[in-house]
Amino acid sequence: MNSMERLQATLAGKPLDRRAIAPVLGLYGARLTNCPLERYYTDPVAYALGQAAVRETFQPDVLCAPLAFASIGAAFGSELVFLDTEAPNLRRPAIQTVEEWDALVVPDPDTHPRLLYFRDVLRLMAAEHKNEIPIAMVVPIPADIPELVMGLESWLETVLFDPAGARRVMDKVIPFYVRLINGFFAAGATFVVMPCGFASPAIVTREIVTNFTRPILAQVLAQLCGPVVLHNVGAPILAHLDLLTGFPSVAAYIVDQRDDLAQARAVIGLDSVLFGGLDCANLGRMTATEVEDGCRAILEERRHDAHFVLGTSGPDVAWNTPPENIHAMRKAAESFGRIDV
Amino acid sequence: MDIKQSLIGRIHLGDRVGANALLDAWASEHGYERLLAEVLDPTLILIGEEWRSSGTFTLAQVYVAAKVTEDVLGKIADRRKSTSEGQPPKGPVVIGNIEEDFHALGRRMVGTFLRAEGWLVHDLGNDVPAALFVDKAQEIGARVIGVSAMMMTTARNIKRVREEIDRRGLTGRIQLAVGGAVFRVCPGLAEEVGGDGTAPDALGVAGLFDRLWEQSVRKEAGA
Repeated sequence: MNSMERLQATLAGKPLDRRAIAPVLGLYGARLTNCPLERYYTDPVAYALGQAAVRETFQPDVLCAPLAFASIGAAFGSELVFLDTEAPNLRRPAIQTVEEWDALVVPDPDTHPRLLYFRDVLRLMAAEHKNEIPIAMVVPIPADIPELVMGLESWLETVLFDPAGARRVMDKVIPFYVRLINGFFAAGATFVVMPCGFASPAIVTREIVTNFTRPILAQVLAQLCGPVVLHNVGAPILAHLDLLTGFPSVAAYIVDQRDDLAQARAVIGLDSVLFGGLDCANLGRMTATEVEDGCRAILEERRHDAHFVLGTSGPDVAWNTPPENIHAMRKAAESFGRIDV
Repeated sequence: MDIKQSLIGRIHLGDRVGANALLDAWASEHGYERLLAEVLDPTLILIGEEWRSSGTFTLAQVYVAAKVTEDVLGKIADRRKSTSEGQPPKGPVVIGNIEEDFHALGRRMVGTFLRAEGWLVHDLGNDVPAALFVDKAQEIGARVIGVSAMMMTTARNIKRVREEIDRRGLTGRIQLAVGGAVFRVCPGLAEEVGGDGTAPDALGVAGLFDRLWEQSVRKEAGA
C-alpha cells in the first residue's frame, strides 16, 4: 500500500498493511534541508523541497503544506516576524478595533502574494506526490481568522461584548475564507485541517461555540469542495467535541494527547477517522524509546479501531526533536503489523 | 446569594456589565476600598481554584474576570487620586514576553491580576531580550521578574534570563517566575529553563510573586 491507499483504506475501515502515521512535519522539512525559515515560508520551491526530504527521511502517510497562519494575517496587513526555529509569527496585528474592519480591504486569495505562496506550494507538492501520499493544508477555522488580523485580545473583546460587531466581521471573513479554502483544494490539497481555537474548551464556552462558532462553521463547510479534518489546536477538545459533529464535510478529528480516545470515538461515531498521538511539544523532550512506547500504548488502545491514525497533537513537531523520535512513531506502527479490523 | 457566588455567576455568563453593577452596588454600601480585599480578590481566588480543579472556566471567562478587575481598579484609582488614600503598593516587579514571543494576552491578564493584588507592575511587552528584563529589574529595584512564553521554542529562550541573572551575581536576589501555555503541557519545563517558580494560570501568579518576593528577601537577609 502507498500512503494514499493506506489513508483511503482507513477512511473506508478496510484492512491495512500497517497503521497510518501522520506526524505534523511542516517545519521539520526546513531542518532537513538546512533552509533558513524566512526563505522556507516565502519560497514555494524551498518548502516543497523540504517536504520531499520529510517524505524520503520518515515516510509519513501525510505531508503538510505550510502551517503559517501568521502569513494569512500578514495578507490582511498584520506585521510578520520570521523566527529561527519556528513558523513565522505576528509582531503586530493590522488593526485594533472592530470599527477598523469596515474600512479594511480583504485580500484577494487569487492575487495576494502571501496567499499565492500556499497555492504554489500545494501545486508543487501535488505534482510531485499527489497520487501516492495525501497532502494536508492547515488553516484555522473561520472564527479564528479575525484573531490574525486584530489580535486575540481585541477579537475576544469583540465576540464577548459586541456580538453585532463580531457578526459584521464574520460577514467579511466568510466569503474570503470559502474562496481561500476552495482555492487550496483546486491547487491540490487532499484535505484541509482546521484547528478549532474558537471551539476549544480552553478558550471559549459551550454557549459561544453553540451560538457563534458552530453556525459559522456550518455555513462555511456547506460551501467547501473537499474534506475537512477538525483539530484540537493544542488543548483537550473532548468537552466540546459533540458540538463539532454533524457537519457534512468533516471526515476526521484530531484530538489532544490528554483526551480519552475511547470517549472521543464514542462522541464522533464509528465512521469518522480519529487521529491521536503524542504532543508535539513533548516529542522532542522524550527519548526515542519513550516515544515508541508511548505510541505503542496508544496503538494498543486503538487496536480494534478501523478508522484510527497515529498522529501528533498540537502544532508542528518542534525543530529540536531528534529524528530518531520521529522514526520511533513508524517503528511503533510497524510493530503492530497488518490491521485486519 | 453570597456576593462572591453572584459575581462568579455573572462572570460565567460573560456579563461584564452585570458584574460591575453588582460590585458598584456592594461598594456603595461598604466602600470601594473594601471591595478588593473582601469581594474581588477572594472571588478571583475561587475562580482560579475552579479553573484548575474542574476546568469549568475558559480563557474567555477569565478574560471577562480580568476586564471586570480592570474596571474596579480604575474606579479605585480614581478615588485614590481624589483622596490620596490607599495602601502603598507591593513590588515593584517586571513582567514581559521573552524574546521572539508575541502572545500578549496571558501576560496582560497576569499584569491585571497582579495589580489587583496591589503589585506595582512594569510590563515590558512582547519580544523582550533577556538583558532588558534584568536591566529594568535592577533599575527599579524589582526582586521578581515574570517571563511569559507560549511555545516550547520560545520558552527555551528564558534560559538566557536565568543566565543573565546569574552572570550579574543576582542569583536569589532577583527571582525568576516563568509561565505560559507550554508550561501547562510540559511538566518540569519551568525547572529546565531555570525558573524559580511557576503558576498554573494567570490567577495564581499573585501568590507565586508573594512567595518569590519573600524568598528574595530571605536570601538577601541571609547573605
